[in-house]
Amino acid sequence: MAADRVLEIDHISKRYGDVVAVDDLSLDVSAGELFGFVGRNGAGKTTTMRIVLGVLAPDAGVVRWLGVPLTFEARRRIGYMPEERGLYPKMHVAEQLAYLGELHGMTGAEAREAALGWLDRFGLADRRDADLQALSLGNQQRVQLAAALVFGPDALVLDEPFAGLDPVAVDVMAGVLRERAEAGVPVIFSSHELELVERVCDRVGIIDRGKMVASGTVDELRAGGRERRRVDVPGAADHWDVGVPGVRLVESDGSRRLFELDPGVDDQALLQAALATGPVREFERVEPSLGELFRTVIGEAGA
Amino acid sequence: MNARSWSLGGTPRLPTTVLVARREVRMRLRSRVFVGGTIVMTVLVVVGIVAASLLAGKTNPVRVGFSGGSQALERTFTASAAALGAKVTVSDIVDVTAGQAQVAAGTLDVLVTGSSTAPTAVAKAAIASNVESALSLAAEAARLSDAGLSPAAVTSAMDLVPVQLLQPPNPKDNENLFASLALGILLWIALGQYGNMVAQGVVEEKATRIMEILLATIQPSRLLAGKVIGIGLVGLLQLTIVGAAALVAVHVTNVAAIPALGVASILGDIFWFLLGFLFYATAYAAVASLVSRQEEVQSAVAPIGILQIAAYLLVYAALPNPTGPLATVCSLLPPFAPILMAVRMADIDVPFWQVGLAIALTVASIVGLTWLAGRIYANAAMRLGTRVRFMDAFRG
Repeated sequence: MAADRVLEIDHISKRYGDVVAVDDLSLDVSAGELFGFVGRNGAGKTTTMRIVLGVLAPDAGVVRWLGVPLTFEARRRIGYMPEERGLYPKMHVAEQLAYLGELHGMTGAEAREAALGWLDRFGLADRRDADLQALSLGNQQRVQLAAALVFGPDALVLDEPFAGLDPVAVDVMAGVLRERAEAGVPVIFSSHELELVERVCDRVGIIDRGKMVASGTVDELRAGGRERRRVDVPGAADHWDVGVPGVRLVESDGSRRLFELDPGVDDQALLQAALATGPVREFERVEPSLGELFRTVIGEAGA
Repeated sequence: MNARSWSLGGTPRLPTTVLVARREVRMRLRSRVFVGGTIVMTVLVVVGIVAASLLAGKTNPVRVGFSGGSQALERTFTASAAALGAKVTVSDIVDVTAGQAQVAAGTLDVLVTGSSTAPTAVAKAAIASNVESALSLAAEAARLSDAGLSPAAVTSAMDLVPVQLLQPPNPKDNENLFASLALGILLWIALGQYGNMVAQGVVEEKATRIMEILLATIQPSRLLAGKVIGIGLVGLLQLTIVGAAALVAVHVTNVAAIPALGVASILGDIFWFLLGFLFYATAYAAVASLVSRQEEVQSAVAPIGILQIAAYLLVYAALPNPTGPLATVCSLLPPFAPILMAVRMADIDVPFWQVGLAIALTVASIVGLTWLAGRIYANAAMRLGTRVRFMDAFRG
């Protein structure tokens, strides 16, 4: 049953005048899944999320939940953290969260209890009666996330939830998102912090110029990337790699060099070339980081 | 879920609007601006009324002292004065010289000396004409009685001439019209204030960016309706506090007769105030959603302010001829009806169909405006920065 709880974005497009913000983009996030949305500024992440929440209407395409197009009622059950943070600056923190809980359909008592529970969770129990504007930016950010969580949403859509948080807060928040996902809530969030996305997410989507250019688990994305080898030949001449077809020098750090292999190239040819120059200290297979994959994919899409 | 019985298509209609309204009321009642403003307004109104009563000394009864034989006039004088609408108090003066000194000192207004049939009045500067008439009538009655007429004959001889009016006066007399007009205009000014409050609130939500979360949760027209209703209730509360203080002050100082403002005309003015508020506040909200910063609100809402002033000026244009075509037509049109119809109703008996039509048109236009404003609100809400053009917001 949980497998049916899929948030499905089906071929949506949105343009502002001549600018295409989202171009025929599709993705789906299942129950229990943390989906990381990665892309440059202006790639279309925020527009996509706004369309999911019905704040913007798409020019084409449809967003489905449980297999049917999202109704207004279903949207109210989605927890949303907009890129542009916004709460009432002069309203008490707990009261504000309880108000949002009630707007999402909770009773007054449920909403108050949930508000206090989340404030407790985020270490803000003692600030419950403070005005939001009296809190530090990091704490305001926690309240903003609590606002998305307070009513026990069916799905979570979070735009840059980790921006501006200290490492401890990042861990708390990542833990909360993981817990929500395990409770059967599809979670989709965007981030610039690729290491974090790599660490936290089950699946990753890379968006560029409104198109989804790659998506899958980090391992799947890696499989589509190029093989890399780190080689350390202390006594080597400067340009010993020249002549090995399909192998490209990515970076060099003293005598250590990082090479990228074209698909199908045998790394033994590289090893032999290295041995020919001198004794090899190190010959290591290197997993590309998400950041490197990201640059590769974006680079290809841009070319 | 009782509230769900109000719902259309499974969406609870009442609750979200009520929640928004409740938040508005709570936040405003807690704000220093509201509490301080209400206190200042109440104090100003009470001080104004007290000052008016002190300046218009006419409320103080005329103090008349009788000495010697003229003391026999006191009863007939008091009765005549009451018949002529003069407020008097009478006292016995033993010593004429001391009485004259009191008149000179201003502690006594009139001193009557001499006999009951030939009294003389002493005053500092002038005597109110009705007091003087009452004194003359009393002396005349004493003379008739002295001439041998029986008390009954004297009473009938002193009867005022009955007047039969061919055209009975309008029960809505001038004092009533004036009071109602004053109340209507005060409410009209208040309406502009609360309309501006709605505009500020809308821009606040846009500027603080909470709008995005709200619009992902509530339908724009409900968000807007809740805001308008909440601020309307707060405004009504504020007016009630100030109004009650004013009534108490008027009653205590006796500066004007309270019955001049009939309950019906007060309720009528409040009813039209509410309709006018819903109409204008919705318009204020729609226009305010086109801008992003507080500084831009004033220029954005200016056209609505001009419309309100036009309605106010129309009152003076229409009042001399409340049954004429200008007054009749304009009092039916929604932007003007809330003040013009209220004033016409205070002045004349407006035909029921005209009142009904004016109410129907105003209510219909409020519903239409709420829909239109919701649409503009939703489309303009996500556009920050430059002012959004009306037609762009309408098309979306």
